[in-house]
Amino acid sequence: MRKRFSTLLLLAVFGIAIFGLNAYNKEPLYHSQSYIFGTLVDISIYGETDDRARLLSNQVLQDFQHLHKQLHAWKPITNNQPSELGKLNLAFSQSKKPVKVSPLLASMLADATALSVKSHGLFNPAIGHLISAWGFQRDEFSVVYIDNASIQALVKSNPRMTDITIENNIVYSNNPAVKLDLGGYAKGYALDMAADYLHQQQVKNALINIGGNIIAIGQHGDKPWRVGIQHPRQPTAIATLDLPDGWAIGTSGDYQRYFMRNGKRYCHIIDPRSGYPVQHTQAVTVLIPPQAPTDPQAGVLSDVASKPIFIETAENKSKVAAMLGIKNLMVIDQESNIFVTRDLAQKLHWGDKNVKFATLP
Amino acid sequence: MLNLLRSPKPLIQHLLIGDRILIISSILVILYLFHTLWSNEQAAKVQIRLGDTVYATYSLNQQRDIPVHGTMGTAVIHIAQGKARFAKSPCRNQYCVHQGWLTHAGQAAICLPNQISLELIGDSKPYDSLNY
Repeated sequence: MRKRFSTLLLLAVFGIAIFGLNAYNKEPLYHSQSYIFGTLVDISIYGETDDRARLLSNQVLQDFQHLHKQLHAWKPITNNQPSELGKLNLAFSQSKKPVKVSPLLASMLADATALSVKSHGLFNPAIGHLISAWGFQRDEFSVVYIDNASIQALVKSNPRMTDITIENNIVYSNNPAVKLDLGGYAKGYALDMAADYLHQQQVKNALINIGGNIIAIGQHGDKPWRVGIQHPRQPTAIATLDLPDGWAIGTSGDYQRYFMRNGKRYCHIIDPRSGYPVQHTQAVTVLIPPQAPTDPQAGVLSDVASKPIFIETAENKSKVAAMLGIKNLMVIDQESNIFVTRDLAQKLHWGDKNVKFATLP
Repeated sequence: MLNLLRSPKPLIQHLLIGDRILIISSILVILYLFHTLWSNEQAAKVQIRLGDTVYATYSLNQQRDIPVHGTMGTAVIHIAQGKARFAKSPCRNQYCVHQGWLTHAGQAAICLPNQISLELIGDSKPYDSLNY
């Protein structure tokens, strides 16, 4: 009897040990995916219990949803109630009458204006009418037939961020052609917001991906977070790299939002100077280190900085990158030639070992 | 001998210490193998996500069409010999279908309008998240 008991006990101890070892071996990694901002939001949290990670991640998603409703460029909250940005755009088009906006929107507009000036107007969130004319202010795009004269008229109306004046949360526009579309800014802003929130909640390790723009907090266990960079023409990663704590990565590409007409690709990134979609570039990727607290943060820069570089012609891309302080840069042109700065080349692990690329200074 | 098989009590009494160790250790080995081989994904699989939940995970070692009901309508995921793809989708732009076959672990195809995503899963993930 005693022997049998001891046998059972031994068995139980070993059994528990194995389950314990298994539980220990299971990574404390929480992963969630949701559809917000008309795109995929993917959150990984490492080192928290599943329950806490779920709560935190849900809070982040709720904040995103809130921001999305506030900033939506074309969808009203309900039938009669436009988003805060929608209301502002309506006011701009009607008169120069000042409009009171939330402190959040006022600070975003000031920040976006500064970045627009810094990029010599190539990052221009005021060209909502152009984006709309090309059919990209819709959840799904179809082939759009453009009337060149109307595009030229929109370009000539010259909407710029500097047309708007922001003071004590009061905003007005000197140009009725201004229509704000924060599509190239809001996701980056949301990344910084989420990173701030998770820091406040003492989360040590997380990776947040909003529609391809990613920011890292801490690392994945004992390794840095690793991200893949999408190949613009194949369903695979062209390269991977480690994303250190506080760094962000963003890509502007012609392969996510576009339509084809007569074998030509019309993507959602529009050159404000010509009014036409950019056709010389497939993708521009920027990698952003942590920024000084008073400057635009890494998330915002990862979203904004790739656009002017995407829009600018090949010979001027490096110049505009330098203007924006971007050192880690990859450009893939329409002929699939790859250009990488020396800084970024050292960090990339190519999917295809025989890849050919040119090094930018 | 037949007696021993009929009633278990004498069987246990007849076991020597070596037998006991052997039995326990074989049970342990089985438990261990079960846990390592069963819970880890050795074979390549495709994970289908619908909205914010994992809809299903299928082995790639089969030929099969899987209908998935998304927010817009029914998409068909085609699995064949280690590959998977969107075969049909109700979305307008058909980016997901044009992505074609996914063949390597870590590759993914997303249909934003219909809120369905496919991801190939292998032994280890080549990266934590994808920049696009």
